[in-house]
Amino acid sequence: MSKLWTRLASAPALVVVAVSTAIPLLAISIQHIASVDIFAVWQRPGVAEALFFSLWQGMLSTVLTLAFGLFPTWVLARYQFAGRSILVALVTVPFVLPTIAVGAAFLAVLPTSLHRTTWAILLAHIFFNISVVVRTVGPLWRSVDQGLIESAQTLGASPAQVYRHLLLPIARPAIISAGSLIFVMCFTSYGIIRILGGPGLATLDIEIYRRAVQLGDISGATVLGITQTFCIACAFAWWSRSQGAQFSKIGDRNSARALNRSSRIIVFLTAAAFTAPLGALIFSSLHTRDSWSLTGWKVLFGLQDIRGLDIDLPSSLATSLVYALAATAIAVPVGMAATAFARRHWIHTAVVLPLSTSPVVLGLAILITYDRAPFDFRSSRLLIPLVHAAIALPFVMRATIAIGNVIPSDLRHAAATLGASPWRRWLNIDLPLLRPALATGVAFSLAMSLGEFGATSFLTRRDSSTLPISIANLFSRAGDIPRSTGMAAATLLIFITGLLVVSVDRRSYS
Amino acid sequence: MSLSIRHLSFSYNERELLNNFSLEVASGQTMAIVGPSGSGKSTLLRLTAGLLVARQGEILINGINVSATPTHLRSVGLVFQDNQLFTHLNVFNNVAFGLKMAHQSRSAIAARCEELLNLVGLTEHSQQSVSTLSGGQAKRVALARALAPKPQVLLLDEPLTGLDDELHDRLATDLRQILQTSKTTALLVTHDLAEARTIADAITHIQ
Repeated sequence: MSKLWTRLASAPALVVVAVSTAIPLLAISIQHIASVDIFAVWQRPGVAEALFFSLWQGMLSTVLTLAFGLFPTWVLARYQFAGRSILVALVTVPFVLPTIAVGAAFLAVLPTSLHRTTWAILLAHIFFNISVVVRTVGPLWRSVDQGLIESAQTLGASPAQVYRHLLLPIARPAIISAGSLIFVMCFTSYGIIRILGGPGLATLDIEIYRRAVQLGDISGATVLGITQTFCIACAFAWWSRSQGAQFSKIGDRNSARALNRSSRIIVFLTAAAFTAPLGALIFSSLHTRDSWSLTGWKVLFGLQDIRGLDIDLPSSLATSLVYALAATAIAVPVGMAATAFARRHWIHTAVVLPLSTSPVVLGLAILITYDRAPFDFRSSRLLIPLVHAAIALPFVMRATIAIGNVIPSDLRHAAATLGASPWRRWLNIDLPLLRPALATGVAFSLAMSLGEFGATSFLTRRDSSTLPISIANLFSRAGDIPRSTGMAAATLLIFITGLLVVSVDRRSYS
Repeated sequence: MSLSIRHLSFSYNERELLNNFSLEVASGQTMAIVGPSGSGKSTLLRLTAGLLVARQGEILINGINVSATPTHLRSVGLVFQDNQLFTHLNVFNNVAFGLKMAHQSRSAIAARCEELLNLVGLTEHSQQSVSTLSGGQAKRVALARALAPKPQVLLLDEPLTGLDDELHDRLATDLRQILQTSKTTALLVTHDLAEARTIADAITHIQ
């Protein structure tokens, strides 16, 4: 592939990242930081508290997710049983579910006394992030040779000692990697806290939104946004350092075993913990004032009007689907082209930039930067899909790289000797083999866009609200009908996202 | 510490691997079991270690029936055919592993490890990563690790397979000497009759 083609192929990905992330972040840094008294911002009411709360709830959520997540991870990695693939899907799909819908599910399942408490937030974070533990630590534990465990047993190690002295040290790099990613997710938690948080339970993202939208304190919000970006960059640096767990040093002689008593209990508890919030959500969507009712669903699909409820839900649903399709149409070809042709490491690093920034900060930066001439793009219908595409881009590229790296180069060489041009080689060799990556990229892009809430809450316009924005609006209203309508909308969003991910990416669950 | 295996039967996937097998190993003796691949030699060791459960029969160590005792409480050391060294630990910590499981003091662990590393000739390699060891060195670490907690019975599963001829012969002689020095009751399985004759006091054939 010529240098010109390589540059042309990676250019769209760089443009998407530059327009949606790099330029806005740079612009707000230059515009505000120099002109703001940073120390004064930290003394404003609620700011230091938000940072403190973000940090401690992020750390506690991480520790609890790891503590609870390692048990199902072990069972799913080492045991074979009927319904295993269903349990894998149940445990891993929540990570791509819309955060706002997960928040609604916990509102439905938890008793009222736990609403607006730290416990509710912690439980929702555990539910949401256990997938990271299963996907990161699971493959490593799956590859641990059974002989190593037997060896420890013959040396007198009890099951608990095998876990502590053998399995945990072996999985340490993967656990650190999972932990830093979970910390970033919880530290920047926004959708879940918008629904489940309360007085004194605001993260930096919530405080940024409050300052920018409710108080008009743009400079304060900017300072907080840059602080948060710095914290995330530190966590990501740690995350990337701990990548590359030691698969190569561990044998692969391992046969899946039948469940024993303790693993059966873990399977049952995990299945119960992951179905309860979803079951409660469906139940709440069909319930108003202590009786069964379809009102929430009727309002959602425009079959029933409620006086005073000025939220056009059918239109929000249509907007969400259009944005998701547009974001996917941008992210998948752009991401695949960048990885298939441009094998340069710096391009791959640049494209991860949107992930290392909180969507709320991204939304704020875009709002400020593109609100005036010559870059008055705020009214453009393309802006939100572009931001969604930028957030999905790293996932598309990661899936493509994972499969692209294992395609033997001799296949391309063989095609070349048979007269295939570089373009024909990509079309006839790479593309068919990359089909699973394409499916994963499509599933993730659709799911990311459908559930995106942080950036969209800044960029949405009254006539083009997405479904997550409408759900947040419904839960901010008092009354049974807005609540059951919110539950119905959250159920629909979870159903669509879950179905998309499981059907398109089903090979992961088999 | 004597080892008695009485009327042991075991089948896997409806295939009978051991049928009414019995064996006596006297205290401090090394017994070799020689037989072709698939004759159930390794299965016998795994049953003795408690890693598999027999369909019928019993295993007695020093007269006590351990058939229902979990592996980690059975006081049986096992040297695996492919060593199974813990790659996240160095040589010293591999040898110390069983002693740590028994909650021994640091000084006792250090003294015992030094003694065993000296016995297998690896004192200078104590801080080395096990991934960097040669085949012979790795085998010695596996042996020292299995001997460290002073097991009542030591089981050796094809311990010299995969080594070159010169190393094989040297290690067989060393192994004989180490077992005699440590006065451990040992059960060795191998397909190599010459190896069995070099290391063991008595030989039993299995078909």
